Amino acid sequence: MKLYDCQIAPSPRRVRIFLAEKGLTMEKIEVDLLGAENLKPEYLKINPRGLVPTLELDDGSRIDEVVAICRYIEALHPNPPLMGTDPKSAALIESRNRHMEIDGFDAAADAFRNSAPAFANRGTQGVPKPVPAIPALAERGMEGLNRFFAGLESWLGENEYIAGPSYTIADITGLIAVDFAGWVKMEIPAGNKNTKRWYDAVSSRPSAKA
Amino acid sequence: MKFYDCRTAPSPRRVRIFLAEKGLTIETIQVDLANQENLKPAFLAINPRGVVPTLVLDDGTVLDEAVAVCRYIEETHPNPPLMGTDARSKAIIEARNRHIEQDGFLAVANVLRNTSAALKDRAVQGVTEKVPQIPELAERGRASLRRFFEDLERHFANHPYVAGSTYSIADITALVAVDFSRWIKAGIPPGNVYTERWHAEMSARPSAKA
Repeated sequence: MKLYDCQIAPSPRRVRIFLAEKGLTMEKIEVDLLGAENLKPEYLKINPRGLVPTLELDDGSRIDEVVAICRYIEALHPNPPLMGTDPKSAALIESRNRHMEIDGFDAAADAFRNSAPAFANRGTQGVPKPVPAIPALAERGMEGLNRFFAGLESWLGENEYIAGPSYTIADITGLIAVDFAGWVKMEIPAGNKNTKRWYDAVSSRPSAKA
Repeated sequence: MKFYDCRTAPSPRRVRIFLAEKGLTIETIQVDLANQENLKPAFLAINPRGVVPTLVLDDGTVLDEAVAVCRYIEETHPNPPLMGTDARSKAIIEARNRHIEQDGFLAVANVLRNTSAALKDRAVQGVTEKVPQIPELAERGRASLRRFFEDLERHFANHPYVAGSTYSIADITALVAVDFSRWIKAGIPPGNVYTERWHAEMSARPSAKA
């Protein structure tokens, strides 16, 4: 199996952390996103959607989408479980994971993609034609991040981790979202003690360096 | 179990179709989105995120996110399988489901939520503060939707279902997204015969009336 990866990008990092938590190593092929290598014909042959991460299986077939790749890995390597152990936990973790994606990751992506000069015409990921940035959407992203941090602080006052009492894939997504918010200079608000406690815990796990 | 629904909204329809495919009926309560019942204290006490679909389990656990609700149903009622049967099919169905959510569903939502007079200042779902509409984002949504229909047509020329050779949750997401696109006067472009064939088949399933 091979992972088409990009060291600096947030999405592939979610898979790398997941693999590290499972104690797995995998051949990685670096794709230069900053140089738009993902939008060039050679990479589009590998993944017509022009996105990383992409997982290539031993039979040559490919799977994309972070959570789909993680689900594949989870099914083959169930321990330690990161996506639930029964119907209720599986569903709750999925729901909280999606909350992190929508509230955190997508807000950070909106803020970043619509303000970073290098992405001035790359407003939609995976599209080889110019898509102009929308400044008002960057603002909306920043406001979304404010709400995201407020929501996190509130939740983590009652729960140790993003999906409840145990570390799961939802914590990986949350960690990446918080770090991605840092790219647009949005840090964990001073005084958000619960979030700082959680962040210190998840970012000091060895997997966070993956 | 209690299912909080809204018969006129696209997201809960995904769960209704899923339940119908499983042959299940559960207690269903209507939430009046048109009159913002989802943002009022009584519903926020049930789900602070102010969204439907919401599933409340017998033990009081609150689940939201259409796919997470479906996952709970799938794990407790595995037949007929709609979310895969082995590592590979689970991952591929998840990936394709997410493709449809991002490329189709979200594109339509971006148009609708940034143009509809009824949603003025409510550009982001579940948020009580004013979020102003962004006309350029609606334009971007229309361009995304065009690409979505091109991709679908190419796909259905070679595959009977969204995830390949088997009906799955990804077909439910796509059916709802395609029907949702009619709200913004889009719909399947004339001449997209393969998509039309697939759509006719999906619409003829009894579950489509759920």
